Amino acid sequence: MELSADALALLEDVRQARASRRMIVSHGDARSVDLAAAYAIQAALGEGLPVKGYKLGLLSSAKQAQMGIDSPIYGRIYPAMMLESPVRLTRFIQPRVEPELAAVLRAPLMPAATPGAAAAAIGGWFLGIDLLDSVWEGYRFSAAEVVADNSSGGGFLIGGRLIDQQPNGVLRLYLNGTLRAEGDLRALGDLHERLCWLATMVGGLSAGQVVFFGSPAAATPAEPGVLEVIGPGADCLIARLEAE
Amino acid sequence: MPEQSVGGMDIEAVARRLDAAWEQRQPIMPLSESMVLTADQAYAVQTRWTELRQARGERVVGRKIGLTSRAIQQQLGVNEPDYGSLWESRYFPVVDGRVDVPADLFLQARVEGELAFLIGRSLREPGVTLQDVLAATEAVAAAIEIVDSRIADWRIKLADTVADNASYGGFTLGPWSRAMRNIDLRTVGMLLYHNGEPVVQGIGAAALGHPARAVAWLANKLISFGVSLEPGDIVLSGSLGPAIPIRTGDVFTLEMHGQPPLSMRFI
Repeated sequence: MELSADALALLEDVRQARASRRMIVSHGDARSVDLAAAYAIQAALGEGLPVKGYKLGLLSSAKQAQMGIDSPIYGRIYPAMMLESPVRLTRFIQPRVEPELAAVLRAPLMPAATPGAAAAAIGGWFLGIDLLDSVWEGYRFSAAEVVADNSSGGGFLIGGRLIDQQPNGVLRLYLNGTLRAEGDLRALGDLHERLCWLATMVGGLSAGQVVFFGSPAAATPAEPGVLEVIGPGADCLIARLEAE
Repeated sequence: MPEQSVGGMDIEAVARRLDAAWEQRQPIMPLSESMVLTADQAYAVQTRWTELRQARGERVVGRKIGLTSRAIQQQLGVNEPDYGSLWESRYFPVVDGRVDVPADLFLQARVEGELAFLIGRSLREPGVTLQDVLAATEAVAAAIEIVDSRIADWRIKLADTVADNASYGGFTLGPWSRAMRNIDLRTVGMLLYHNGEPVVQGIGAAALGHPARAVAWLANKLISFGVSLEPGDIVLSGSLGPAIPIRTGDVFTLEMHGQPPLSMRFI
């Protein structure tokens, strides 16, 4: 896709800010870049890298309305973004954390797949942590700006227990023992429908890819210490965030 | 698989020495004391040895992962595990959870308790994670592994055990359980009884922090050699505690949480 001058300027802004780990200020709607162009920028910034999976964002219609869009957004997960504890916060610009649910696919999922096909393609559910990061100061951005910036993709942690049946209930996130965020997974909508939407948007998903379904709770700033996500069953994911 | 001949080293001759030691139950001096053997050369020896046995009718039914505990890695001065092949001639199926194994098959055998994975989907793409492994796993079982060394007095360095098929001796399995895919394998506990005494108390996290992480390591290592885990492959994911030396007449019983007991007697 041919990028406009505004789109090329956005691409360069994000590329440089990511490379130098510096925040930049949103241009609001001063630049004319549509979502299709923003996704093209996102793809261009990760060109040549294998895609380990995807993250979904802006799942609630309230958030979407706020951003002037009518669908969720997605970002790409590259292999180097799959992290293990301990996580060094110095790799991020302004990290935030969210408790999430993730699924690992055991079979490919074609564009326009049915929800049943999505259910059959899921090899297992896992608790996850989305360590968001954004080049946009204070996470103030337009829809095109956040999409171009890989939908605030930073890093991801994923639990060690395969959950066979899609979990329902509340996810809680504790930072240094204090409850920082909680939300009901029902807020994410029908996850099989979400997966079908994603498969259509990205031209199909493949076996072995992982999908983070977005957070049912507000993001909270990351701080050094102990991060715990407690899931509905007996599930937990414990990680250490380190300043250095 | 690694090349047949690496750096002029005679891979074939070393493989034949190990094979003779295995067949005659006569240990050999540590390879690493008489030659410079890199890890890749050692894997080439192991591969060649497997080929020699396959030419005589042996079959590979899966893989075993060794050196998965921090203690053993520190002891050998390495920071990653190793792997070997599971040879079918040394698979000892149980009847009603029990099996008798001839002790004279071995040189200096030891017994370990661990978890086995039955692979249900190919793992061919690099970057395999432990979650990928769980999603690709058909079922999990309790396993008793017999480790044995063709190297005198177990005086092994990394290259010795790698060349020696990761000190493989044999194995047996409890029933495959699909439900075990869904429990937290890090916190699964086990007791290994030696002649009625619970001598080993093990836990899933002892194998590289998570047994499926060890399998993910194996999957990625195999991919780097141009091989992959395939449906039907059995993977022994690494001991959950110390290995216990055996003597004729010994009875070992493995109790893995939630699984029926598994007993092995050496006759």
